[in-house]
Amino acid sequence: MDIIDKKSIMNNNNNNSLTKCLGECEIGDELEVIKVDAGGSATQRLASLGIVPGVKIIKSRSAPFNGPIEIIVKGTKIVLGRGLVSKIIVSCNNSCNL
Amino acid sequence: MIKNFLISEKEFISIMKSCLNKNNKKITTVENRINIALAGNPNVGKSVIFNQLTGLSQTIGNWPGKTVERMEGHLKFLGHYINIVDLPGIYSLSTYSLEEIVSREYIASDELDIIINVVDATNLERNLFLTFQLLELKIPIIIAVNQMDILRKRNKEINFEYFESIFKVPVIPVVAVHGIGVHQLLEEAIELIYQQEFHPHQKEHKLKSRTHHHQSFKMKQVYEQLKSQSSFKKIFNFPDLSSLLSFGKEVEEKIELLTTSLENKTENMVKNQYPSRFLALKIIENDKEIKNLILEEGHYSEIIKISGEYRKELEDYHGEDISTIISSEIYLNINKILDEILIIKSKKDTKKETLTDMFDHITTHSIWGYVILALILIGIYLFTFIIGDFVGGKIDELYVNLSININTDSIIAKILWEGALGGFFSAVGSVLVYVIPFFLMIEILQDSGYLPRAAFLLDKFMHVLGVHGKTIITMILGFGCNVPACAGCRIMETEREKKISVALTSLVPCAATMVVVMGLVGEYLGLGYVGILFIINFLVIILVGRILNKTMPGECTELIMEMHEYRKPNTKVIMKQTWKRSREFILKSLPIIIIIGISLEVMYIFSLLDPVNFILSPITVFCLGLPAVTGVFLIYGILRKELTFALLEVLAISIGVGSVSFLLSPIQMFVFSLVTMLYIPCFTTIIMIAKQTNWKYALQISLLEITIAIIIGTLINWGYVLIISV
Repeated sequence: MDIIDKKSIMNNNNNNSLTKCLGECEIGDELEVIKVDAGGSATQRLASLGIVPGVKIIKSRSAPFNGPIEIIVKGTKIVLGRGLVSKIIVSCNNSCNL
Repeated sequence: MIKNFLISEKEFISIMKSCLNKNNKKITTVENRINIALAGNPNVGKSVIFNQLTGLSQTIGNWPGKTVERMEGHLKFLGHYINIVDLPGIYSLSTYSLEEIVSREYIASDELDIIINVVDATNLERNLFLTFQLLELKIPIIIAVNQMDILRKRNKEINFEYFESIFKVPVIPVVAVHGIGVHQLLEEAIELIYQQEFHPHQKEHKLKSRTHHHQSFKMKQVYEQLKSQSSFKKIFNFPDLSSLLSFGKEVEEKIELLTTSLENKTENMVKNQYPSRFLALKIIENDKEIKNLILEEGHYSEIIKISGEYRKELEDYHGEDISTIISSEIYLNINKILDEILIIKSKKDTKKETLTDMFDHITTHSIWGYVILALILIGIYLFTFIIGDFVGGKIDELYVNLSININTDSIIAKILWEGALGGFFSAVGSVLVYVIPFFLMIEILQDSGYLPRAAFLLDKFMHVLGVHGKTIITMILGFGCNVPACAGCRIMETEREKKISVALTSLVPCAATMVVVMGLVGEYLGLGYVGILFIINFLVIILVGRILNKTMPGECTELIMEMHEYRKPNTKVIMKQTWKRSREFILKSLPIIIIIGISLEVMYIFSLLDPVNFILSPITVFCLGLPAVTGVFLIYGILRKELTFALLEVLAISIGVGSVSFLLSPIQMFVFSLVTMLYIPCFTTIIMIAKQTNWKYALQISLLEITIAIIIGTLINWGYVLIISV
């Protein structure tokens, strides 16, 4: 956990970008994955789909009633359940917060 | 190039025959048969290639003991019998889903000679992730780069020469939908078999001159192989790919250490088919299956222990989960070469809002999405019902006309005619006529790519029932027929979700149930009551979901699903698939229906059914308030649900009252329809549930549904009685 905290602080200081969970971001945001903390097999599946720290993703859609969200990773649309969304920490650059 | 093989093959056979003149029959079957598996991500065109290659000669093989279905086809190509297995789409060789485990086991088995790894040219980065893992298995492999046409439309190109030079395996451009490059894959496979190593294509002239030179030597090797009964892939000279596959320093060090310690011990490993490096990778990744495999082989607890320490070291160093570390390493390796492989000709902006994007937007809209979903479901039901009703009516007429001319006085004639032929006609006339149009609609829906959108919209709701959104896909399939829908539950990743999914899917009112509900309640009580029945059914689904979610150990997993782009349904593919599925249904269900039809007819003739009615009467008469005769009908209904209604009609005609409304009061109709809807999955569905899970579970689910149906039926019956008496 120390490492994420350091990373997030670094991000905040250097790039003026924010670290938050994927669920909090707006639709259309271009994000960078910082940390995937979804537990063994789900992390493995996410990793095999290319959702690993450092990769750029776009949050493209969100289902109604607080349902799953859709992200674009490496040109593919992937739907993630809401429970996973809170376990993916992303960094959001300035543009998406305005 | 091909001619060369043909000659060499003939020569080869003649030599083999002279060597083993008594066993030549065995030799031709072993030597001539090449086992090829198609592996790749979901939706990259594996099945299209499979269909292109096997054409009409394909057979559908359900593999005993396996939970995940694989398709198997055969063809003869250049004098070789080629056996092709279409593996389920996988993203990685991990153990996230059953499909991955089963695919990995098959790929590693002795049966397989060559893998054709199908990759999507438009999504190379993600697709190569699996390729890199397949390469670790050191199995003869051919990479088929599909959808080249789409890639070229996007002004991109692939440098195949470079691709082959670094992967050191054949890489073939393919446009599967048009059959381009598909047969070249087989030529390449046969070439690999005879060469036992891969020669890059740019050096083709050298390869030709080598062929003859190598021949006698190679034949000896193949002969040795046949004698020792070991598989082809063991004698295949797999290229050294260490420069391509090796990871960053920290990870690589650990894997090398583990590989060496495994190699020192693997000499005695018999069962184990995997290369040491692959094992090392999987042990460090904490892969349970591989760890068990190794532990089974002997005293490897030491290695497991060391690997645990290594894993911890790496995780501490990187601050990530081990699977993330390894995956990142693989993606790093892919990105190193991707720029060289993928040539971008012009950076035209291709992100225009297309028609499919618009369609995508509407079908996932927070309001219109649900409206469209409802319209699609009603549309499928109406289409199936209208077509089925019309054609079924014609078939019934035919049966009645035939029956007039047949004398069924003798017992044998009665058994054969009413049992066997009656069973056959009602199977065709009442089931098949609904099933075929339904399959057609479902194929269109599947091929268009709509179903993941429904899963997206309803994922949140499905969590209440203990499963994620993918179950809604099988439940939609269940509206037509529960049998293929339950078979579809294999898409669920965990055993728990598969179990809940089959249970929920088996509760969806299928086309046959609709026949009963519409024929009885719809006809005599009105559509409003049909609506009430549907609501009750829907509530029962929620109830069962809640019960199973509470009682079953484990947690609901989260939805991770690729949302494939919409595409125009391909008529040829749809017709072929519909026919294939219908044919499978006919071949599997019809014999069972006829056999049970005969046995029930025998029971009927010898009055063996009266005791059944008597035994059931406490439930049917006392609890549900139905006539005793319905007991047998409900038993028949287990076979096929529409029989409950069909037999009521037959009874009404035979005792001369003409209409069912004289047999059943309105409340009885309502209870009878409700019980038919809920009381048990039909016989074939139970078999399918057992196939997908196990018999114990299938019986448990049946019992649960019977109990629920009786309780609800009793409540309604006695509630009604009480209200009337008050």
